Amino acid sequence: MLRFGLRNLFQSRTRLLISVGGVALALMLVLSLDAIFLGMERQLSAYIEGSSADVFVAQSGVRNMHMASSSLPRAIVDRVARVDGVADATPLAYVSTAVLTKNEQYLAYVIGLPPDASLGRPERVTNGAHMVGQGDVVIDGPVARAGVGVGDDVTILGRTFRVVGVSDAYGSVFNSFAFVPLDAFRTYGSDAVSYVLVRAQPGVAPSALAERIEAEVSDVTATVRADFAKQEIKVINDMATEVVAIMNLIGFVIGLAVMALTMYTATIARRAEYGVLKALGVRTARLYRAVIVQAVVTVALGLAAGVAFTLLVAAIVPRTGVQLSLALDAGSVAKTAAFALAITALAAVLPILGIARIDPAIVFRRRIA
Amino acid sequence: MTDHRGAAPPESPSTTLEVTRVTKRFGEGATEVVAVRDVSLRVAPGEIVLIMGPSGSGKTTLLLMLGALLRPSSGQIRLDGAILSALPESRLPDIRLRRFGFIFQDFNLLSALTALENVAIVAELAGASGKIARARATELLTQLGLSQRLHFLPEKLSGGEKQRVAIARALMNDPTFILADEPTANLDSKTGRDIMRLLRSIAKEQGRSIVIVSHDQRIKDIADRVLWLEDGTFAQATEMAVDPSEEAARSPA
Repeated sequence: MLRFGLRNLFQSRTRLLISVGGVALALMLVLSLDAIFLGMERQLSAYIEGSSADVFVAQSGVRNMHMASSSLPRAIVDRVARVDGVADATPLAYVSTAVLTKNEQYLAYVIGLPPDASLGRPERVTNGAHMVGQGDVVIDGPVARAGVGVGDDVTILGRTFRVVGVSDAYGSVFNSFAFVPLDAFRTYGSDAVSYVLVRAQPGVAPSALAERIEAEVSDVTATVRADFAKQEIKVINDMATEVVAIMNLIGFVIGLAVMALTMYTATIARRAEYGVLKALGVRTARLYRAVIVQAVVTVALGLAAGVAFTLLVAAIVPRTGVQLSLALDAGSVAKTAAFALAITALAAVLPILGIARIDPAIVFRRRIA
Repeated sequence: MTDHRGAAPPESPSTTLEVTRVTKRFGEGATEVVAVRDVSLRVAPGEIVLIMGPSGSGKTTLLLMLGALLRPSSGQIRLDGAILSALPESRLPDIRLRRFGFIFQDFNLLSALTALENVAIVAELAGASGKIARARATELLTQLGLSQRLHFLPEKLSGGEKQRVAIARALMNDPTFILADEPTANLDSKTGRDIMRLLRSIAKEQGRSIVIVSHDQRIKDIADRVLWLEDGTFAQATEMAVDPSEEAARSPA
C-alpha cells in the first residue's frame, strides 16, 4: 500500500504542488511569525546583551527596562562601586519617549550615559562618534534609517540635540535608540539615574556579585545580564502571546483547510480505485495506511518547503534595508512540526471516513482505467 | 433443461460453490425490490457458467453475492462447505483476496501503477514478498503475451492489454473461482474473442471455475452452461460446451 499511496501522490503533480505549496505557505506563516518575534526578542535584548555589563542594578523590584520605571539616587552609584568585586559601575538614565526630526517623530529608548562611560555605550557606530558630549546624540534604528545623519538636529523631550553618531546595532523596525549625555536628564529636573551597570572584577561570579550588591546596598535589585535580558524578552512575549497564538491558529487553519481539501478531493477522485481494492479483498485499514502515507509525505514536504522559504526570507529581508530581523530556532521548527503532525492527522480523517463508506460493489459499473 | 428456481451443473465429482435458494431484497415495505429471487446454483471445478439476462434482471446482484461482496437476504452460499453468507464481515476480504479472482467490464486497473505492479500488488496484499510477487506477476503477464508491457501504465495499454492485465491480476493469488462482469464489453470483436479463448483455457487447463455475467452472445461459445436470469429468477438453462478454438478450426477465416 506504501507504493500505491506514494504513486497516487506523485501521479498528479499539480495536486501535489497545490497541497505541498498550501501547507508550506501555512507553515511558513507560523514559522515567519515565530522568526519575526524571535528576531524582535534578540533586537530588544541586544542593548542589554551588548552592554558589557555583568550585573544590572535597578530600583528594588525592577528586573528589566522595557515598560519599566526605575529610579535610583545618583549617590547609589558610588555605593555600588564600593562593593567588593565591582570593577566598574556606570550610571544609566533611561526613558521611553519620542525623537522628533524635521518631519517625523519616532518612538525611542533614550539612554543617558556619562561621557566617560565604559559600559552601555552604543555599539556598531557606522558613522561619527561613539561618545556623546553636551547637546550631542547618537541615534539608531528607524530615526537613522529615515535619513537623519551626522550634523542633523533632533528634538528629545523639548530639547535640541545634534547627531554626532549613527549606530545600527539595536533599533528594531518599531523602536529607535538615542544616546544622550547623562546630564541632559538633569535638565528635566531629576538627578536620579535609572540603572547602574556593573562590571565584575576578573574571577568574580556575576551572580555572587549581584547577591553581594543587594546585601550591601539597600533598596536595589541586582540582576545578572542574562536574567535581565531574559526578563526583558519575557515582558515582550507576555504582550505578544495572544497575537502569536491567533496568528498560529490562522496558519494552522489555513494549512489544515488546504490539506484536508486536497486530500479529500484526491481520495474522491480515486474513489473507484479504492473500491476496486476493497472488492479485491484489501482490508480497509490498509487503505487508510495509503491515505496516511500520502498525508505524511505531503505535510513533510510542506514543512521542509516552509522551513526553507522562511530561511530564505530571513536571509533576504535584512538585505532589503528593513530593520527586521528574522531568527529561526529549533523550538520554532519543533512547534511547527507539531502543528504539521496535527494537520496530517486531521486532514486524513475525512478521506478515511470517505474510504470507510465506499461500497466495493461500485466497481462493477464504473470506468476508472 | 429448464428450472425456474435454479440450475444444476453437469455431473461433477465435487462442487465447491453452491448457491441454495438465495434471495436478495433491497428496501422494504412499499419500496422493496427483489433483485434475486429464490435462486439456486452449483458451480463445478473447471466449469464456465455464463449468466445472461436483460438489464435489471439481477445478474450483477447475483455476481456480487457470489463474490462475497453482498450478503443475501435469505438462502445460503457455500464455499467448500462453509456458509459464506454467514461468515463475519471481517473474514470476507481475505476470502475475496485468496479464493476469488475478479475481472471487471472497465478493467479497473490502478492508474498510478504499472501493469506489473497492478498484478503484483494483490500477491503482496496476500502476504507474498515483493520479490516473489513481482516474479510471479512477470511470469503471468509473460504467459499472457505482455512481456513488453510490464512497466507500462494502464493509460498506455490497449483495451485488450488492459483486460489481460486484469486477468493476470485475477489469477495472481491462484483463486478457485473467477468472477467476470462483462469481460468483453469494452473490447473489439477480435480482442473479445481472444479474451474468451483465454478464459476457456484458464478454466479447462487450470481447473478454475469461471462465472461470467454478460450480454455478449459470443461468450456462449466458451460457456459450459448458459443461465438466463429474468426478474431475479433463472428462466432457462442451456448446456453449451463448445470450444471456440475448435469452432474456429472448423470455420474458414
